Amino acid sequence: MGKSATIFVTSYPKSITIIIGIITLILVLLAGLPSIWPDTFKMLNHLKVDTDPENMLPANEPVRIFHNEKKKEMALHDIVVVGVVNYVHPKGVFNPESLKNVYELTEYAKTLRWPDPEKQGNYAGVIEIDIIAPSTVDNIEQETPGTVSFEWLMSRLPKSQSEAEDIRNKAKKIPVLNGTLVSEEGKALCLYLPITSKDQSYRIYIKLKEKIATFHGEDEFLITGLPVANDTFGVEMFVQMAISAPLAMLIIFITLFIFFRKLALIISPLILALIATLWTMSALVITGKTIHIMSSMIPIFIMPISVLDSVHILSEFFDRYQHNRDRCQTIINVMQDLFMPMLYTSLTTAVGFASLALAPIPPVQVFGLFVAFGVLVAWILTITFIPAYVMFIPEHSLENFGRMHGKDHEDRSYFLGSIGRFSLRHARLVIIASMLLAVLAAYGITLININDNPVKWFTNKHPIRLADTILNRHFGGTYMAYLAVDSTGEQSTVTEFADLLRSKMTDHARENEAFYPGILSIFNDIESELNHLKTTVKDKDQLLSELITFANNRAGSSSPDEYPLWDEAILFLDQERQGFEIFKKPEILTWIGNLQTHLLKTEVVGKSNSLTDIVKTVYRELVSGDPSDFRVPDTAAAVGQCLITYQNSHRPQDVWHFVTPDYQKAAIWLQLKSGDNQDMSRVVDAVTRSFDNNPPPFPIKHQWFGLTYINVIWQKKMVKGMLEAFLGSFLIVFLMMTLLYRSALWGLISMIPLTLTILFIYGITGFIGKDYDMPIAVLSSLSLGLAVDYAIHFLSRTRAIAADTDSWQEMITPLFGEPARAIIKNVIVLGVGFTPLLFAPLVPYKTVGIFISSILLIAGIATLLILPSLITILERLVFPKTARLQFTCKCGTCIVSGVALVAAVIVNISQFTRFGWTTLTLVSLISILVLAGLCSFMSRRQSCANL
Amino acid sequence: MGKIILALTIVVLVMNLVYAANVDEIVAKSNHAAYYKDRDGSARVSMTIKDSLERTRNRQFTILRKDDPGSGQNDDYCGDQKYYVYFNLPADVNKMVFMVWKHLNTDDDRWLYLPALDLVKRISAKEKRTSFVGSDFFYEDVSGRNINDDVHVLEKEDTTFFVLKNTPKNPDTVEFSYYRAWIHKETYLSIQVEYFDKQGDKYREYEALKVDTIQGNPTVIKSMMKDLRTGSSTLLEYTHVQYNIELPDEIFTERYLRRPPMKFLR
Repeated sequence: MGKSATIFVTSYPKSITIIIGIITLILVLLAGLPSIWPDTFKMLNHLKVDTDPENMLPANEPVRIFHNEKKKEMALHDIVVVGVVNYVHPKGVFNPESLKNVYELTEYAKTLRWPDPEKQGNYAGVIEIDIIAPSTVDNIEQETPGTVSFEWLMSRLPKSQSEAEDIRNKAKKIPVLNGTLVSEEGKALCLYLPITSKDQSYRIYIKLKEKIATFHGEDEFLITGLPVANDTFGVEMFVQMAISAPLAMLIIFITLFIFFRKLALIISPLILALIATLWTMSALVITGKTIHIMSSMIPIFIMPISVLDSVHILSEFFDRYQHNRDRCQTIINVMQDLFMPMLYTSLTTAVGFASLALAPIPPVQVFGLFVAFGVLVAWILTITFIPAYVMFIPEHSLENFGRMHGKDHEDRSYFLGSIGRFSLRHARLVIIASMLLAVLAAYGITLININDNPVKWFTNKHPIRLADTILNRHFGGTYMAYLAVDSTGEQSTVTEFADLLRSKMTDHARENEAFYPGILSIFNDIESELNHLKTTVKDKDQLLSELITFANNRAGSSSPDEYPLWDEAILFLDQERQGFEIFKKPEILTWIGNLQTHLLKTEVVGKSNSLTDIVKTVYRELVSGDPSDFRVPDTAAAVGQCLITYQNSHRPQDVWHFVTPDYQKAAIWLQLKSGDNQDMSRVVDAVTRSFDNNPPPFPIKHQWFGLTYINVIWQKKMVKGMLEAFLGSFLIVFLMMTLLYRSALWGLISMIPLTLTILFIYGITGFIGKDYDMPIAVLSSLSLGLAVDYAIHFLSRTRAIAADTDSWQEMITPLFGEPARAIIKNVIVLGVGFTPLLFAPLVPYKTVGIFISSILLIAGIATLLILPSLITILERLVFPKTARLQFTCKCGTCIVSGVALVAAVIVNISQFTRFGWTTLTLVSLISILVLAGLCSFMSRRQSCANL
Repeated sequence: MGKIILALTIVVLVMNLVYAANVDEIVAKSNHAAYYKDRDGSARVSMTIKDSLERTRNRQFTILRKDDPGSGQNDDYCGDQKYYVYFNLPADVNKMVFMVWKHLNTDDDRWLYLPALDLVKRISAKEKRTSFVGSDFFYEDVSGRNINDDVHVLEKEDTTFFVLKNTPKNPDTVEFSYYRAWIHKETYLSIQVEYFDKQGDKYREYEALKVDTIQGNPTVIKSMMKDLRTGSSTLLEYTHVQYNIELPDEIFTERYLRRPPMKFLR
């Protein structure tokens, strides 16, 4: 097959090249034109960038829907955080000059808005009314005894040092500002700029930096917050793609040149990698997929994989060319030998990545599918383009090309051969050492720390990471998480409530008849309306508000005598309505306050804000201003009056960030000092425990929202999803190997280097304490793709050589000739090629760089050292004297494959179905038994015995 | 060319002078029409605050007003006056009272009575442009902005309206850069007012929705204030509007905060 295909290709090199060129051009135009002129090519998808980790979850994921609903309900927005510190002035930023800068920056931030391209007539950018800055927040205080004042915290610029310190002292007295606006030690400030949407943050970040550059003095301005981090990551990601990927190509190019010293020839794998990347990325854009943090890594994954096969071809071509000095014949021979291994390496790699489509994370699915696509493209190009390309090289220019059979080269093959002989002689030692290492690695895996934090995707020295570290040292925390508490939910039916209300009304009317003569008949009117309404309204709230409307209408048309009676009745009804306002009740506010205090003990929560803090502050300032009066007042009416007083400020809307206007739902804001998922999980656990140990005085539900929390959810899904996807693809690859070699044993052996590579990689991860995060998780599929490739090449050649060799010992020399050399060259070319990623300013790229190199190295060693040792030990089983080639005649292989098949199907299905494991286990047991029976029957049939 | 520009400039200047006299008169009459009808008055007010998510909150209060004795029988009196606002609803603020002594030449005096805390508080009146009980109206909208705080320019007039552009004399104390008012030529009531922020964008809007003549006084009985930035709006509906009800002076004292004059509040 490889031979005929190559003969065909080498006969029409021009046509093949032109066809590839045309396809490339069409794809690039389809993707490029709408990206450059989106308006002209509206029918086509243009390049879309998405750096929002939120999109790691599908848009219809419950946690995201809830998050967005709550953000809307509580009018909360994503925030750009600007910290201001001054390490020179003894009072920090609380001096007239610094505050002047802060004021100017605030005023400037107010202007950072522009017409929203997506919503006509709306603005995008900073939301002025919700800015938290000294000049935009209110201070409530006892101005003089008996007089309470609402004033901007910094109504004008301070003229003296003492005025500047006044501002600090006032802010420190207000709990919602202390630790949020002003740092706990009173030397730093933090501005919070809410923005209309996250994708505006980079633009705002750049504008703020420009403005800050014009300031004089010793103030340092630090800009951070998750939206800025995400957006900045997106921008730097592109820079990264534009620098790292080409740099990697350059280094691969140089290494290839050192090995093969033929410029014309070594350009071919690079062209191939480029075309494969272009096809894949164009396909990504054309199908309307977004360039996400994940998909931005597609080129970096496709490049090594696509170069891999070409290096095998080049290496063999190099080794054999001098035999007959016929490029056409040599390439045909090379392709004949490599066709099957290359097909299988490509298929297994594609399966490894395609399995990611089973992970429940859309960007990971896209990533997996498109890398798989790229791998297959690379394979097609490898068997078409590379031979075609070879035909373009004039024979005479290859005169000095290829392996000369001189002394120098004999030395190198002697070295390779010695590896082979070592693994042969010390087979037991190699295997025992590998097993020990595997056990050690397994222990390392148990040490793995599952954790992620998008801010940590920047290196330690990145300005955003620095800002994050400094601000979290000074303030309560820059990572926001919100706990939603909700008292809605029916405790009694409308009818039950109506009956209760009726009896209360009767009592109330009787009690007040003496003071309000005639009120009985008023309440009778209301009661008949109540009887009428109770069958039509949807809930108790509606029943009461309809009754109040009814009473208001009647009051409006009533006589002057009756008017006060209606007034009294409305007051009664409104009191009943306010009974539902759970979050005005002192008990619940006190309970929330206690929960907040408790959460501080987690040491992750640096600060929290709630309605309780506002009520306590207003109460204190209304009563005396003394710390002793910092408490929740005794009645719900007192709470209501504190709150209405608080709303006499410049920012009455502030209350609605903490509670809904019906006082039935509230939100507690938590400021976390760390955005690590682990830390967020710890807070979630603390709250759950708190609800169990110290239940709220009224039945309330609680649920989390906020970006920090969403990150936890997608990480959980990712870890589980990746593990299942990996398990599924591992089994499929095993099945493919078993089919390829028509032997379960060979299948198992071929999985050894891959299994060990994965064990070692993750074991090392565990030992060095590197968090298991998104890039690390994705690398398991890369290992699967790369590590098995070497084994396939090695074992396929072993099989081929075994056909005309008698003993394993004799095979070592040819095996450690061309095939081993190809593997070593591969390891070196790619291992070195990806070192530029180590210098990336973005951690995920660094991680990928280090891991690709390590995977290649370990897989190479495992293949060249462990595989021969294993074969040595298992020689009799591996090379049986009477080989039954008919697959179904091998009972063991058949059963093992059957089990693997069932397991692969089950693992993959389990991610989509709701059946529990017990159902699936039962189904799989039955299927395995059936398959085993079938295998047993097939292998005993007559035709097998004859073989 | 230069001469034409000069001539035009002179014409504009002269026009402005002619208008200037006129403008002061318009502003004074408008102020009077909105806040100084007769010597005193009362009204029952229903306030409905609706936020951007269409969630509504209702407040009901009775408002009493009395001009200072200095007003005499002078029809264009625009001086000091007193307000007493008694809250009926929501139930938890029932009996809460807010009282203002409005002064033209000094800061106002303001008191708040909170029955659930049994507390009378004076409220510092340095800031007038803060929300009135959480609504989109400011204190200054309820009791009137001092006409001397702004420079008024008649921008245009048509058959129905004078259109005035009002620019603050002290821009640092207010959140607007100017506001434009449409003043009805017959009644001198402000029918529409638009507020513009420092970037020149409109962010706040007042509209008189219904006017009724009560005891010979054209009176706004329905009005709406919208905050375009928060998307919130507040509707005021006046009922039981009465003028010349002979309110005694002593009602407007601290003593009456705890003992509301129910006779005038129903």
